[in-house]
Amino acid sequence: MPIHDQGYRRYGGSKAPLGQGWTVIARAGIRSMFAKRAFLGLLLLAWFPFFVRAVQFYAAANLPQAAMLAPSADTFRQFLDQQATFVFFVTVYVGAGLIANDRRANALQIYLSKPLTRVEYVFGKLAILATFLLLVTWVPAIVLLVVQMSFAGNFTFLRNNLFLFPAITVFTFVEVLLVAMTMLALSSLSNSSRYVGILYAGVIFFSSAIYGVLYAVTRSTQFSWISFPANLEQIGNVIFRQPLRYETPWPVSLFMIVLGIALSGVILERRVRGVEVVA
Amino acid sequence: MSAPRTAPTLLGSAARILDLSLGQMLWSRRSIFLGLLLGGPVLLAIALRVVDTLYRSGFQINGARAGGAAIFGMMIWLLYIRFIVPVLGVFYGTSLIADEVDDKTITYLFTRPIPRSAVLLGKYLAYVVCTTLLVLPSVMLVFFLVVSTGGGSVAAAFPSLLRDFAMLAIGLAAYGAVFALVGTRIKRPLIVGLVFAFGWEPAVLLFPGYLKRLTVAYYMQALVTHEMPQDSAVSLLMQVFREVPSVATSLLALAVITGVTLWLAGRAVEHKEYVLEQ
Repeated sequence: MPIHDQGYRRYGGSKAPLGQGWTVIARAGIRSMFAKRAFLGLLLLAWFPFFVRAVQFYAAANLPQAAMLAPSADTFRQFLDQQATFVFFVTVYVGAGLIANDRRANALQIYLSKPLTRVEYVFGKLAILATFLLLVTWVPAIVLLVVQMSFAGNFTFLRNNLFLFPAITVFTFVEVLLVAMTMLALSSLSNSSRYVGILYAGVIFFSSAIYGVLYAVTRSTQFSWISFPANLEQIGNVIFRQPLRYETPWPVSLFMIVLGIALSGVILERRVRGVEVVA
Repeated sequence: MSAPRTAPTLLGSAARILDLSLGQMLWSRRSIFLGLLLGGPVLLAIALRVVDTLYRSGFQINGARAGGAAIFGMMIWLLYIRFIVPVLGVFYGTSLIADEVDDKTITYLFTRPIPRSAVLLGKYLAYVVCTTLLVLPSVMLVFFLVVSTGGGSVAAAFPSLLRDFAMLAIGLAAYGAVFALVGTRIKRPLIVGLVFAFGWEPAVLLFPGYLKRLTVAYYMQALVTHEMPQDSAVSLLMQVFREVPSVATSLLALAVITGVTLWLAGRAVEHKEYVLEQ
């Protein structure tokens, strides 16, 4: 389209307050994902275990023959374990292209030429992924807790397991933070979202495979800290007050999680940069 | 007067594309990923060898000293068959055509006077050559590092290494063909590929019945000479419901899978109109 008028016109709109630029990125990203029918199908599928558990809770509360299905703290732990599969696929679907696609389209420079800091850009992208991950972990787990109370018609379960609400919240937020930061860091390393997706699958499955070999050779679970998912499982059991799954001390697993988040932060700090103009 | 030009054959054109793509595949940034993936087992094998040398008791499984051949078998199962071969298939198979579409370079290939399916076939052959040439040395290094630990004999185990080579090459070819079809037909091939390789295949192998015949892993397992490891409850379940087809049946099934999926992928490339995003 030809440009007829090259004159300058002052911006007439309102200025967003400083530090809120990330909300624009997050809103746009979330809206664009909700517009994809295939992704909505994936989200619906991710809620399937929730419906199965809801039926289980209904049966346990209303049918004396199904008393053995009564929920416990471990039920919620298992539910979040099952959701790990969907966490993986949602992470690859949503997260692989978050920064990689911007790098491919050279959009990073355009973003950073706006009144938007690098931290806001990363936080906006993180918010997109975290929103969908919480939608398949924290939200169904909390709704399941409410469903249990409504089917039982009393607060006895909640009173006896008062730690469940903070446990679900803390565990899901740790899981989401680790997964989202790792995926964003990998996404910033390449221009191809397919490459990023495979890299993420590599981090998850290869670390587990290496641990699998070490376990098969030594018959000891003390090397579980090598496995990305095993660290989360170990910390999950600590948070849910369940017996530990692996011989690795839980502070070691926690250290590996913190290390993963910190390393991702360093990668993002180095990779998410605009063009430096040297005079 | 010059002689009339004849159209190049499918195989001749595929050979030209193979020549072009092989260099690109070997000397690309994604080779770093391949290096990490294949270097991991080698590093693990070195670590195991060092530990075995330092501690005379070696590794013990259920109180008995683990032989090097048994450890090598576990590594073949857990690292190569369950992870490396499928992941390489997903990675390279889905990107044979999709990468050219993403880079908007597919037009240059499709405007050449060669059949479109030759582009896919050439790239597929380049994938098979590239991955086989890189996976086999990694397996060989692991073999020599690990088998001699625990008093194992390299000479006695060597025939099984050759069988492993053949099995891995066949697996790479089969997975590559399946994911080439996924890459040519589906818009988001990676997700579908990952669901197939790490969702459908391990899940279906756990159930009794015929569903497992719709996997590549079922036929590949029949070609493995090593004992399946019991590293987790899932592995135990797999062993319980494991039914192994004969080697001849597996080879035939893998050949059919490779042939049919490649043919379907070729047809898809011939007929599909690729719209390049602006």
